[in-house]
Amino acid sequence: MTTDPAPPLSVRNLRVAGDRGRQILAVDALEVAPGESLGIRGPSGAGKSTLLHALAGLLPVSGEVRWGDTDLATLSGAARAAFRARTIGMIFQDFLLFDELDPVANAGVTALFASRAERAARRARARDLLRALGVPGEARSVASFSGGERQRVSVARALAAGAPVLLADEPTASLHRKAADALIDDLLAEVAAGRTLIVASHDEHLLSALSRVVELRDGVLPGEGGGHA
Amino acid sequence: MRETWSDLPETAQNLGLLALLLLPLAVLAVALWRGFAPGPLVRALLWRFRWANAVYAVLIAVSTGLGVGILAQERGLRQGTAQAASKFDMVVAAPGSEMTAMLAAVFLQPSAIPLIDGATYAEIADHPRVVLAAPIAFGDSWEGRPVVGSTADFVTYLVDGEIEGRLFRTSAEAVAGALVPLSIGDRFVPAHGDGEAADAGAHDAEIEVVGRMPPTGSPWDNALIVPVESVWETHGLANGHPLSEGDRIGPPFSPRHFPGTPAILVKPDGFSAAYALRAEINARDDLMAFFPGAVLSDLYRVMGDVRQAMSLMTLVTQGLVALSVLLGLFILSRLFARQLALLRALGAPGRFVMAVVWGYGTVLTLIGAGAGLLVGLSAASVLSRIVTARTDIAITSSLGWTEVHLLAGFVSIVSILTLIPAVAVLRQPVVKGLRA
Repeated sequence: MTTDPAPPLSVRNLRVAGDRGRQILAVDALEVAPGESLGIRGPSGAGKSTLLHALAGLLPVSGEVRWGDTDLATLSGAARAAFRARTIGMIFQDFLLFDELDPVANAGVTALFASRAERAARRARARDLLRALGVPGEARSVASFSGGERQRVSVARALAAGAPVLLADEPTASLHRKAADALIDDLLAEVAAGRTLIVASHDEHLLSALSRVVELRDGVLPGEGGGHA
Repeated sequence: MRETWSDLPETAQNLGLLALLLLPLAVLAVALWRGFAPGPLVRALLWRFRWANAVYAVLIAVSTGLGVGILAQERGLRQGTAQAASKFDMVVAAPGSEMTAMLAAVFLQPSAIPLIDGATYAEIADHPRVVLAAPIAFGDSWEGRPVVGSTADFVTYLVDGEIEGRLFRTSAEAVAGALVPLSIGDRFVPAHGDGEAADAGAHDAEIEVVGRMPPTGSPWDNALIVPVESVWETHGLANGHPLSEGDRIGPPFSPRHFPGTPAILVKPDGFSAAYALRAEINARDDLMAFFPGAVLSDLYRVMGDVRQAMSLMTLVTQGLVALSVLLGLFILSRLFARQLALLRALGAPGRFVMAVVWGYGTVLTLIGAGAGLLVGLSAASVLSRIVTARTDIAITSSLGWTEVHLLAGFVSIVSILTLIPAVAVLRQPVVKGLRA
């Protein structure tokens, strides 16, 4: 499987409204170059996860979220899903694995809705990725895995679809330091391979390893805000 | 179109109806699953909530099993009784209830019935369109089994001449039904009456079994058939023949020496003769003639009404179970909300997420319906054995097209309803699901 080149990200006047219409996120401008690693810092409730969700097209937004030539804000839900399937791999704090499935099936879960021609290749890639990440792929289920192993399965899942962009939400929050450091190395290796990485995190260790960090406060990211690590 | 359909063989019609009933299921399966492989996730859902799933499957199995069991049992009863009565073309008895006379003469259920005298018997037996007129004299028993008086011709007709040993030649001989625990050469003394009121010491005439009948699937399998003369003699009556004839048994009988018989089996010489004879006899005040098959048809009609009422009840039950399954699917899909939201976050098309939820609900329904088939057939089988043991009518419960159609319809309807939770899942915001 070949990975498409990462598209540049351009965000303009992004606004996200909460349940009662109250604005919960405002980003005036944000640019991320292909292959860049960007950290999003901020206190709890600042809107870091919301920003990631908006960048992934999981939320209805106003403004512009443009990945290359594609403005997610103008796409239908189905089109945004198709875009995510092609372009964005997501990693979550608590992994969100299917405990009933084995590691390969978890890492290759996107193969289940991929085209028939691509299915076998994606499973093979999931197996290779697990091997490369040091996860025992032959285990019957992921239920007995440690937090570090589970997160690596979720990284393999994000990568198996060949997505050129990785969005990670607190990927190290559930891991002890050693496992967290190993995961940071894995993520940086993907950046080195040309993928774009955007991480929302409290983990200064992780943020310090990224090429740039922006800071969200009370759901606001004014202009190209935040400081460099 | 209707003519073309009715011209098709029965199996083709049944297969066609089955295909029609399963069409919604097939269409949905193709529409939702085409190009996807949601199987592993469906299995994961089934395994994760295995205990709740098992409860739902049992609910479905019990409700569908009720329907299947009722249908199979009713058909088994119908076929069993029809088979048991197949040799009894026409029965003549004193006026009264046809049902009572049929139960007594054909199914050997004890009943007190007025007797037909010798002159009347002779009229029927001598009728030019009557091939066989056999007296059926019941009332005695041996160890709970009916001892019935008739003629050798009747035994030959009943079992198509296939008999082990030989027919009786004297009034002290008998032919035993297939289930009677007496061998050829064994002897028995009939008790007066039957059931708990039977008086074992009332008669002292010993009768020898000289032949055994093959199984007929009717209460006659548990009967001992003796010459009708034997019944009369053991009751101290004339034996149907003048003294000058000595110990001769069998027709013709002397009307003057004929003590009476509660029923006569009549075999007319054809279809039209049967109807003509029935009309002729029923025009009289002192007799009635009926076709057991027609009486059974009336009974089946009543049974059919009962079946319809019970089927309606099972349909209502199935509807309620289907609704509870839907409710369960809503609850379970909420429990699985994070994983379903994850799939959508990973870019899974809405159709794939629907395919997972729908597949889960439909597989659960199929498992329950399959188990219901087994439950229904097992229940019908047990019930059939009980009825057979009590009536000696061979009742067999087997899977019929009606049950298959019932299940196919149920599964298809539930599969359509399962679209509701499947669509509802898609209406949940992804982010809300991820944070659930």
